Amino acid sequence: MPNSPHAQREDGVRAASRPFWLAGAVIAIGGLCLYGGLQLPQASRYAAVGPGLFVTVSGSALIILGIMLGVQIARGEQFEPQDAEDATGTERADPKALLLALAAACVPIFTIRYLGLPITATLSFVLVARAFGSRRLVLDVVSGALLGILAWFLFTRLGLQLGSFLPIAGL
Amino acid sequence: MQTLEYLLQGFGVALQPVNLLWALLGSVLGTAIGVLPGIGPALTIALLLPVTISVAPESAFIMFAGVLYGAMYGGSTTSILINTPGEAGSMMTALEGNKMARNGRGAAALATAAIGSFVAGTIATILLTFAAPVIAELAFYLKPADYFALTVLAFCSVAVVMGSSRVRGFTSLFLGIALGTVGIDQMTGQPRLTFGASELLGGIELTVVLVSLFAIGEILYVASRYRGSSSQVIGVKGQKWFTRADFSRSWKPWLRGTALGFPMGALPGGGSEIPTMLSYTMERKLTKHPEEFGHGAIEGVAGPEAANNAAAAGILVPLLTLGLPTSATAAVLLSAFQNYGLQPGPFLFTSNPQLVWGLIASLYIGNVMLLVLNLPLVGMWVKLLAIPRPQLYAGILVFATIGIWGVSGLVSDLIIMAVVGVVGYVMRVYDFPIAPVLIGLILSPMAETQLRTALAAGQGNWGVLVQTPLSITFLLVAALFLLVPAVLKRLRASA
Repeated sequence: MPNSPHAQREDGVRAASRPFWLAGAVIAIGGLCLYGGLQLPQASRYAAVGPGLFVTVSGSALIILGIMLGVQIARGEQFEPQDAEDATGTERADPKALLLALAAACVPIFTIRYLGLPITATLSFVLVARAFGSRRLVLDVVSGALLGILAWFLFTRLGLQLGSFLPIAGL
Repeated sequence: MQTLEYLLQGFGVALQPVNLLWALLGSVLGTAIGVLPGIGPALTIALLLPVTISVAPESAFIMFAGVLYGAMYGGSTTSILINTPGEAGSMMTALEGNKMARNGRGAAALATAAIGSFVAGTIATILLTFAAPVIAELAFYLKPADYFALTVLAFCSVAVVMGSSRVRGFTSLFLGIALGTVGIDQMTGQPRLTFGASELLGGIELTVVLVSLFAIGEILYVASRYRGSSSQVIGVKGQKWFTRADFSRSWKPWLRGTALGFPMGALPGGGSEIPTMLSYTMERKLTKHPEEFGHGAIEGVAGPEAANNAAAAGILVPLLTLGLPTSATAAVLLSAFQNYGLQPGPFLFTSNPQLVWGLIASLYIGNVMLLVLNLPLVGMWVKLLAIPRPQLYAGILVFATIGIWGVSGLVSDLIIMAVVGVVGYVMRVYDFPIAPVLIGLILSPMAETQLRTALAAGQGNWGVLVQTPLSITFLLVAALFLLVPAVLKRLRASA
């Protein structure tokens, strides 16, 4: 739905007035691709297109698009956050809730190899529930643990390699 | 006649008890997913991809087809009863359907949506049955240059159509293309954009990007803006159901919606949003009750709902016949085929007729199942909305983690999940479209391979790319996608 969120919103709350960092990020990603692409041959003897060409083209395109984005931002381009079910773009972001949810997404990186899926799922579950305002810690711990344990048994049986139940204890 | 024979064989596959169970599971899951917030058909199929490890391909695709159609049905329920479309294609249904529900006509709105979806789904499946083999036959004549031009057309249309700004659309697309180049180059074996990390040699999995962008990005975004408010569900008990007058006002919009939805769903970038919008606009112009539009006109529900379901069948045409995904859901289905070592395209019809025709036959069965599941059981589906949001989103994160960890068992994929999740969050805040990233990621290897094959056959002569009428046509249409919006903008500005 390309335009509807904007059409519906009349008060026009904006994400940020001049997010030049956004253009900078696109240029940086483009630069990284361009650097990676230029390390490789651009042409090949038989197929004309070498392994580096697509990388170089996408990197260059991202740099150009980043510059265009920067120009648009300088000219006053407005960014209206997308609407989602349960969230409207007009709401101001709550950084604490955002960080809690992000922590929940990062937890598996540090714990899943040592603590296994059930405990990792419990930790993530509790953090997300808290980010959404839940204060029923016991219920969240029990729900998360049940979900993690059931999912581990079910998906392991389906043939998925989810690791040991509790690797740190050798289980 | 041969098509009918194949279809009968397909029914032989789809009507096996085990496959009927998979179809039922897919339909139930799909409807639930359409009703619940935060997850759409693309993400659901991505989260279900692990079942492809232990289930026969026919059964898995029959289930995925149920999810695809079911999500369209479920989306209309929430659109009508709580004014929150479960997926983008249901936006227009919410506009009139919720007004109807508020005026005490919710039951009629639900009925026209369900029957319209059934009619459109069935007609579109019939069209798919007869069009797909013909297109697959024609696809044998496509040369690598034609395929390359087709991918260029898909890139341009997706980037232009699926976003509010072309710069942001193309930025999303090129991010996807760049991600698609990560890993070992298929032709020369050289590592690209891996920066010495051996974990990246295998490339970046579509599933990881998809789950991260949709699930993690959505969780981060909604968590940051969630205020604990839940929409009021409008009850339908005791209301007057579908009347003869409702039927006579609905059947033409159903047919017109189908006629719009099916071909547009099959076009790159068409998706379900544009045909539903067009259908709504068309019904508004053609109606004999213009005063009701904006206050609960049944035509405004019947047309868009039919267009929505017909588009869902439409995306299967280019996917099955050309291996070309035209939406995020189609991109995930393509990934599911690849999990089985299958490549959709003209050869699929000859190499795996059981799978293709079983899948097509299951669409007919799924449609009947969904009608039975949705009309009498609407009250049960609405109860799903009672699941508290904190626990619902927490569950989605757990399943996203399982989906990523279970497929590869690599911590690097979990790191990519967090990073891409943050990118997904930023994209929602600054209104970048998400689908072009997926289309870029999945189509860039195909574009590169076809370009190289075409140039190799032409001994390095770039002119080979514009030597067939088809490739010229595709490239011209792609150029039109780029130029027409800019020209229209200028014309409007000078008017």
